[in-house]
Amino acid sequence: MTSTHTEQRFQWPFYRSTKDRLFGGVGGGIAERLGAPSIYVRAAFICASLAAGLGIVLYLLAALVVPNDPDREDTTHDKASSAQVAGLGLMLVAVMLVFQTIGLWFGPIVWPTTLVIFGLAIAIDTSGLNYEQSLAGIAGAGDMRRSWWLVVGGLVMMVAGLVVVLSSLESLQGMGVLALAVLAAAAGFLIVAGPWLWSLIEDLRTERRARIRSEEKAEMAAHLHDSVLQTLALIQRTDDSKKMVTLARSQERELRSWLFDERAGDVETLRGALAQAASKVEEAHNVPVSVVVVGESSLPSDRQTALVGAATEAMMNAAEHSGAPKVSVFAEVAGGSVDVFITDQGAGFDSAAIDEDRKGIAESIRGRMQRHGGKVHIDSELGIGTEIHLTMSGGIA
Amino acid sequence: MTSVFLVDDHRIFLTGVRSELEDAFEIAGSSFDVDDAVDQIRTLRPDVVLVDVHMPGGGGVTVVTNVLETNPDTSFLALSVSDSPEDVIAMIRAGARGYVTKSIGPDELTDAITRIAAGDAVFSPSLAGFVLDAFASSMPVQEDPELDSLTPREQEVMRQIARGYAYKQIATRLSISVKTVETHVSSVLRKLQVSNRHELARWASDRRIV
Repeated sequence: MTSTHTEQRFQWPFYRSTKDRLFGGVGGGIAERLGAPSIYVRAAFICASLAAGLGIVLYLLAALVVPNDPDREDTTHDKASSAQVAGLGLMLVAVMLVFQTIGLWFGPIVWPTTLVIFGLAIAIDTSGLNYEQSLAGIAGAGDMRRSWWLVVGGLVMMVAGLVVVLSSLESLQGMGVLALAVLAAAAGFLIVAGPWLWSLIEDLRTERRARIRSEEKAEMAAHLHDSVLQTLALIQRTDDSKKMVTLARSQERELRSWLFDERAGDVETLRGALAQAASKVEEAHNVPVSVVVVGESSLPSDRQTALVGAATEAMMNAAEHSGAPKVSVFAEVAGGSVDVFITDQGAGFDSAAIDEDRKGIAESIRGRMQRHGGKVHIDSELGIGTEIHLTMSGGIA
Repeated sequence: MTSVFLVDDHRIFLTGVRSELEDAFEIAGSSFDVDDAVDQIRTLRPDVVLVDVHMPGGGGVTVVTNVLETNPDTSFLALSVSDSPEDVIAMIRAGARGYVTKSIGPDELTDAITRIAAGDAVFSPSLAGFVLDAFASSMPVQEDPELDSLTPREQEVMRQIARGYAYKQIATRLSISVKTVETHVSSVLRKLQVSNRHELARWASDRRIV
């Protein structure tokens, strides 16, 4: 053990790895020290555990006593030679033999299981990280082929071990050796090919997600074609600029509710119902109607319907008769009652003179509101504009 | 003459607005890119910046925030494709003095820019509606009563804006001067920008902004 530290500090034979750890980093640490893949160290611990839990005890001891890897950039351990690694392996076998002799032993399945575990380790070590490569290695370069042979070798070890293990199980006593071998081979294949199958399933999933995305895109394109492009075509064929604006606005409204699924689409709500009424008026009279709603009403549905109906009528009147360039609708829910203002800055009218010739206001607005306990206040001035104020209370009329 | 700088990634729209405003204002410049806009505004120091809300690279909020760090005197008017205040509340919180929709007529836009240049605030009907919603008096949780609620007069002015009236009409209707209306709106703007009122935060987070 060498150190580049000037002061000779105590050095542990290994440190618990901070980078490569499953539980306490003991396996990773030892592997780093030995310069061997950590999977073999872990396999050794598992095998040692078969000797009356020796591996588990050693592992816990190491995890408790050995400190975490300090930042050892400046300290270089010599990597263990392969002879040393083999020596350690033989020591492990010897210790296990001692345990077997003194009876701390889980029975005859230990050795074949050890075979299975190391076979698996060998097979996965070369296959786990670079599965595609090692598969491709069948026809590939020399070192690739070597890793492929390691996989096969590992598999053979594992299958042989599995056959012995399975044949020792009581419940499988009746089966022939051939059936056992087939079973073992199948199990071995599953274990080794598992990661590959898994990645295949992952690929399929990714592909499915991509397909869903492209379907959504196609749906989007279809929708845009049916609505937006049609409207744009209409706009190009229209000379009337007012009509163009209306087309654009109603398209904007529709696209927006489609894209953002706004509450405006829900005609159950006051907001949604007024927005829908506004777009109907816009389409009928080519006058933009803006709607602002504050709060959400909890009116009984018959009253809300009456209120929205009256408001729609007021919007229609404003759009049709006032000559104003736009109509504003403002609804506010306060203390259980709802106020709606329909405002235009158009011609206005003499409110004393309308009751006879304008049935709309008398019947559709006033009548509708009054039947449901609501009130109407009309404020109009010639040349200034009109404001119709509807009030519907939520309580008992 | 008031100098105006335009920021919008939509070039056709930029060209259109430019030609609409050329008669009334000195167009200091324009940009369709967030970083370039910030650099140019710092150099040219225009009175008013007309800035689009949605742009790649951080959008209007980034422009407003970055410019105000170095040039706190710049006034911003936000432009949004729609009258949806959730698009714009982040702009107001970042420091814009008002917002208008892109469907606004040339006269109204000119009026709004003049107002912003004079240090006033510009609220669209739907922003006024949002303010009333967010500052609804029925929710009495207030950390700072002065900042976190609207005075009755401010509420009334907001209601009038929401009903589509211009400042001059509001002044007539409420029998106050236009200057007073402007003062009320500016005061509401300040509350909107600095209030910690929880409805504002909740409302913003509901829509995943700020």
